[in-house]
Amino acid sequence: MEKHTSDRKLSTRRRLLKAGGALAGVAAIGGWSPARAQAGGRVVIGTWGGDYSKLLSKNIDTPLMAPKKYDVVHDIGGDPERRAKMRAEARLPRGTSDLQGLSAAQMYEMNDAGLCLPVDYAKIPNAQYLLPQMRYPYGVGHIYSGKVILYNPKLIATPPTSFADALDSKHGNKLGIIDIQYQFTMMAAALASGGSMTNYEPGKERLMACRKAGARILPTNEAMAQALQNEEVGICIMWKARAVQWQKAGAKVETVAPKEGIPLYISGFVIPKNAPNKDGAHFWLNEMLEPSAQEAFAEDMGYNGSVSNARIPAETERRIGFNLEERKRLIDLDYGYLAKNDAALKEWWDKTFKG
Amino acid sequence: MAAVTAPAVRTGTTPWTAAAAVAPASIVVTIGIVLPVVILFRYSLNQYTPAKVMVDAFTIENYVKFLTDPFYLAVLFRTIRVAALCTAICVVLAFPMAYCLARTRSRFKNLLLMAVILPLFVGNAVRAAGWMVLFGNRGFINSMLMGLGITSEPLQIMYTELAVVVGVIAVNLPFVVLTLQAVLEGIDRAIEEAALGLGAGPWRTFRHVILPLALPGVIAGTILSFILAMNAYATPVLLGGPTFQMMGPTVYNQFAGLSNWPFGAAMAFVLMTATLLLTVTSNWLAQARYRRAPAASIKVTVN
Repeated sequence: MEKHTSDRKLSTRRRLLKAGGALAGVAAIGGWSPARAQAGGRVVIGTWGGDYSKLLSKNIDTPLMAPKKYDVVHDIGGDPERRAKMRAEARLPRGTSDLQGLSAAQMYEMNDAGLCLPVDYAKIPNAQYLLPQMRYPYGVGHIYSGKVILYNPKLIATPPTSFADALDSKHGNKLGIIDIQYQFTMMAAALASGGSMTNYEPGKERLMACRKAGARILPTNEAMAQALQNEEVGICIMWKARAVQWQKAGAKVETVAPKEGIPLYISGFVIPKNAPNKDGAHFWLNEMLEPSAQEAFAEDMGYNGSVSNARIPAETERRIGFNLEERKRLIDLDYGYLAKNDAALKEWWDKTFKG
Repeated sequence: MAAVTAPAVRTGTTPWTAAAAVAPASIVVTIGIVLPVVILFRYSLNQYTPAKVMVDAFTIENYVKFLTDPFYLAVLFRTIRVAALCTAICVVLAFPMAYCLARTRSRFKNLLLMAVILPLFVGNAVRAAGWMVLFGNRGFINSMLMGLGITSEPLQIMYTELAVVVGVIAVNLPFVVLTLQAVLEGIDRAIEEAALGLGAGPWRTFRHVILPLALPGVIAGTILSFILAMNAYATPVLLGGPTFQMMGPTVYNQFAGLSNWPFGAAMAFVLMTATLLLTVTSNWLAQARYRRAPAASIKVTVN
């Protein structure tokens, strides 16, 4: 099976080489080609700061883009600010970024607002290995993880098995909830209370019960990491990738894949319609999908890659990935529902849940 | 002779010189403040749709939404309460500090002034980070209290109103001290000595002589501190946490978090208007008191 897959990949590569030759011909009459894109230039990437930005530089910009004479610049900021910037720049003929790193829900939202350039997958040869869930008409998935339950066995005697176990008022102030993760928290509460990806309403009562019982609301993921480390919080929900990072940092937490389903978190990139260097952006996306870059991200950051041809070491795969049974429970979000209802969900979160 | 002719020369050139001097600042203010405010006001009359962010309209629905929603009104009143409390505490703390700075003849006066200014060298967010180290459940204060056996459980200081008030005061205090110190420096020491010589005690001298004369500085410091506290962002976010909501972070959240620019713009205008109204009213009341102040000081001398 492995050999068959490998042969198929080789065959695909040959086809790609032929396609590359054809594209070179097109270049002669002024069309796009990898060769032309490799002429270099500046590519501006809107991205989160911290480790993510550093790893983009370490695993993509420096080893893969710099040799092709590309100057990659990071425009670092939180996604709310960068989305606001995309909207503010929408009327300009020439924007200030070539790519924007966003979650899948945010990519949908930006496309819904008419701000994203349709991705030309012909310019991204590596996209042939892209997992189907990571391939959007308006963006390309980079990494993914799933929402799992984290608990400290010292503080939580009975290991939870579901979101219903985790988001339970019996935990009192040992339950931690992250403010900026309101969408996923409401989604998990809904799944635990008979709701679905298109109906978060049933989870509200559960969340209010937890709040009344003293659940701690922490502002950021980092604050949650600290609270787990200090044992102020004993149970929460979080991306498995983050759990792996926190375990590496010494937090005494275990992870459980909830039986209701494991909501997917996908992070990827879109190209703004008014990107100054669209070819460079496509070229960067291609390099982002290189197996070497994907393997390095899995190892360094604990997120699963978005391509099928990356060779992740078995030990890393065991830590960050999901087993066969768990993979069956991975569920994607309904981005349309989120985009349509996000304002109302946030308003309820701010006014009723936190208020 | 020169003293007579010089003003005549200046009279001919002053309007042009003044215009030239004022023009750059006026242009910067017009482009940098007035224009964005006009645009913001126009946005506040638009309608919000999740996909397009805003649709051109002329509606006051965003203002109506704010003024009829108990949640947003509570956020506004909480902001006013915190700003007023912080300002009052700042003025009370700053006055003795400013007085000592103004009256001291120590050769270390400049060093003392630098000590007041020094916190302004550090950004608000960095200062808030320092408070977080102190206020955290495993922070310095809780560790000390638990270490001394005063408490058995950590006190919840972070993410409370107390933390925000302390943080805002720490930010605003240097501004108020410097404003008051500048005014107190201008009050002739002989006036205080005269009041004391005529039999007024220190408290009466302060109440009927120093305070009325320092009132312009008190007003300026109060206005400065109140405006800064009303618009505080970093301190409420970092020390107040997700559940203690003030206007600055709430306005930002509408723009950046929810992309609801029309409502965010309306909230910004409500905040701006409330700050302006409260500032003008308090200024007017203080000025009225100031106009009555000379009579009071004369009364001291008569007594």
